[in-house]
Amino acid sequence: MQSTNMIKIENLVKRYQNLVALDHLSLDIQEGEIFGLLGPNGSGKTTAINCLLALLKYDKGTITIFGKNMQPNSYDIKQQIGVVMQNVAVFEQMSVRENIDYFCGLYIRDKAKRRQLVDEAIAFTGLEDFTKMRPKKLSGGLLRRLNIACGIVHKPRLIIMDEPTVAVDPQSRNKILEGIVELNRQGSTIIYTSHYMEEVEQICTRIAIIDHGHVLATGTTEELKKMIKTGETITIEAIALDEALLAGIRKLPHVFELSYEDQILKIKLGKAQHNLVRILNYLQEKDISFGRVFSELPTLNDVFLEITGKELRD
Amino acid sequence: MTVYKGFLTITRRNINMMILYLVIFLSMAVAAQKITGDNISGFEQVSLNIAVIDRDGGELAKGLADYLSHYHTLVDLPDDPSILQDRMFYREVYYVVTIPKNFEECCLEGEEMLPVTKVPGSNSGFYVDQQINTFMNDVRILTKSGFSLTEAVSDVIENCKEEAEVTLVDKNGFGGKQPLHAFMYQYMPYILISILCYSLSYIMIAFRNPDVKQRMMCSAIPIRSQNLQLVLGYATVGLGVYGICTIIPVLMYGKSFINDPNMAYYLLNSFLMTLVSLSLSFLIGTLVSKEEVVSAVVNVVSLGMSFLCGVFVDMEILGKGVRTFAQFLPAYWYEVANGLLSNNSTFSHGQQMSLYTCFGLQVLFAAAILGVAMVVSRVRETA
Repeated sequence: MQSTNMIKIENLVKRYQNLVALDHLSLDIQEGEIFGLLGPNGSGKTTAINCLLALLKYDKGTITIFGKNMQPNSYDIKQQIGVVMQNVAVFEQMSVRENIDYFCGLYIRDKAKRRQLVDEAIAFTGLEDFTKMRPKKLSGGLLRRLNIACGIVHKPRLIIMDEPTVAVDPQSRNKILEGIVELNRQGSTIIYTSHYMEEVEQICTRIAIIDHGHVLATGTTEELKKMIKTGETITIEAIALDEALLAGIRKLPHVFELSYEDQILKIKLGKAQHNLVRILNYLQEKDISFGRVFSELPTLNDVFLEITGKELRD
Repeated sequence: MTVYKGFLTITRRNINMMILYLVIFLSMAVAAQKITGDNISGFEQVSLNIAVIDRDGGELAKGLADYLSHYHTLVDLPDDPSILQDRMFYREVYYVVTIPKNFEECCLEGEEMLPVTKVPGSNSGFYVDQQINTFMNDVRILTKSGFSLTEAVSDVIENCKEEAEVTLVDKNGFGGKQPLHAFMYQYMPYILISILCYSLSYIMIAFRNPDVKQRMMCSAIPIRSQNLQLVLGYATVGLGVYGICTIIPVLMYGKSFINDPNMAYYLLNSFLMTLVSLSLSFLIGTLVSKEEVVSAVVNVVSLGMSFLCGVFVDMEILGKGVRTFAQFLPAYWYEVANGLLSNNSTFSHGQQMSLYTCFGLQVLFAAAILGVAMVVSRVRETA
C-alpha cells in the first residue's frame, strides 16, 4: 500500500476562554491506516476530531485533508468522509433502513446506487433482520451497528470513528472491530478513538497518545512499547516477604518498580534478558516459597500509563 | 432533497395523530352547527313555569290568569308563602303572581302594583313583568274607551293569540342566519394550531437533536441547502393541512360555501392563521426539547388560545377581561374577522378596515412569533 499523507494537522490551537483544549497539536495520518487516537477524558480527542470535521473553529494552525485545506464549506472533502459519532445520531421516527438511506442520501443522489449501497451497508453491519424496526426497539449493540452503517454507507475514503463501541456487549464489539478492519481492507482510512486499549492494540496500525491537547507519542504499538522503560512485569503470588527481602529485590539489576500487596509481589523491570530467572533464583536463595508466577510483556496500557502518568479512564 | 424527504417521512409517522385531530375537529364543527345553527334559524317565545295565586276570583283576575297561560305553563300551588318560596328556590316555578282581593279596584282603577315574587335580577322575571303590564294597560285602555270589562279582557286575550311574524335582517346573504361553513371556520384555529404544532414540533425536535444536527453538518450538503429543505418541508405540511381544512367545507357545504361572496376572505383568513400556526410550531419546537412534553404543550396552547379567543364559545359570552387579554393572541383577530365575514356579505368602510386590521395583525403575530423563535434558537445554539 502506498503511503501518502491523507491528513496533516499542524500546530492546531483551540481555546475555550482560558482553557487550552488543543495546544499546538500536530498529526500526520497516512492513507490506508487505521489510526488510533488515545487519550484520557478531556485530553482533546473529540475537540481535535470536531476541528478536523470543521465543526469547530480553531484559533491557530492548519488542517489539510486529501491535500486541501479543510473549511466548513469544503463539501468536496466532506463528500469523502464518513463519520461515526460517539453518540448514536439517528432519527427515532425512521426505521433502520430509512435511517441508513437518509444518511446515504446526504452524499449520494442516484437512487439506484443508493439502494445498492444501503443494501451493502445493511449486510455489512448484519442488520438484515432489523431493517423495518425503529431505533428505539434495537439493543445497544444493534444501535451502534446502525450508527456505523449510517456513517459508512456511502463508502467514504476516510472514516472517523469516535468511540464507536461504547456500551456494546463483547460479541457485538468483536463484530464491529472485524467490520472496521474489513472497511480498512476495502480501502478506507480510519481514525479511531476508544477508551478500550485492547481494541486499539488489536486493530490500529498506528497510534497517537494525546493529553492536555498535544501529542505525547506517535507510532505503531511496537514502537510505542519500545519508548517506555518497562520491558517486563513479573507477578508472583502467595509469598511472605519482609522489608529486608523487598529491599533486596529492589537492588536486583533492571528492577525499577516494585509493589507488594495481599501477598502478591509485582515487579517492573527494564528491557533485559533473564529477568525472571534472576528473580526466581534470588527467592530460592533466600528460601522463600511461592505459588504461581506470571511474566507479562508491556501492554499499550503500560505505555499509556507511563507516558501520561494516568489510567486511560481517569 | 434528502432532508426534505426525511422531513416528510417523519411527518408520515405522525399521520394517525393528525387524522385524530381532524376527526375531533369535524365532530365538533358538525355538532356545533347542529345545536347552535338550528337554534338561531327561527324565532321561539320563551315559556316559563309560573304560579297564579288568585285571592280575588273576579273576571279580571281570571282573565289575567288566562292571558298568562297562553304564554306560560301555570303551575297549581297552594297560597302558602313557605311552599311558594320552597318551589321558587328549587326553580320549579320562576314567577308567582298574587292577585289580591279587589284586584279591579286596586290595580286597574287604582295605581297599586300587582304583588309578584320572582327570581331577583332574572330575565324571565322582567319578561313576565312586561306581559302583565301589557295586559293591564290594554284592558285599562279598552275599558276607558267604553268597552265593558268582559269585552276588554276577551279582546286582549284574543289579540295575544295572534303570533308575531319575526324575520331576521339578511345582512350576509344567508337569510340572517349564520352560514354553516362559518361554524367550521370558527373552529379552524384549533385544528390548525393542534395539527401543525403537534406534527411540526416533533419534526423540529428530531432535526434539532444535537447529535443528528452535528452529524448532518459533517455531510456533503451545505447547511443553507439543508435549512431551505426544512423550510420547504414546513411549507409543504402547512399547505397540506391548509388544503385539507379548505377542502372539508367545500365537500360538506358545496355551493353554499363556494357561492359565499366572502369565500376568498375566509380562505385568506384561514391561510393567515396557518402562517401563525406554523410560527407557533417553530417556537414550540425550539423551546421544547423532549418529545414527551410536546403533546402537553400543544394542548395547553391550542386549547388555551381556543377558549380565550372565542373559538369554542361565541366571543359575546366571554367576559370583558378575557376579551381584553385575548387581544394579545392571534386567534382572537382571526375570530373577529370570522365574525365579520359570517355576519356580512358587504362591508362598510369601517368594517373593511376592521377586517384588514385583523388580517394585518395576524401577519404581525406570525412574524413576531417567528422572530422570537429564531432568537431563542440562536441563543440556544451559541449557549
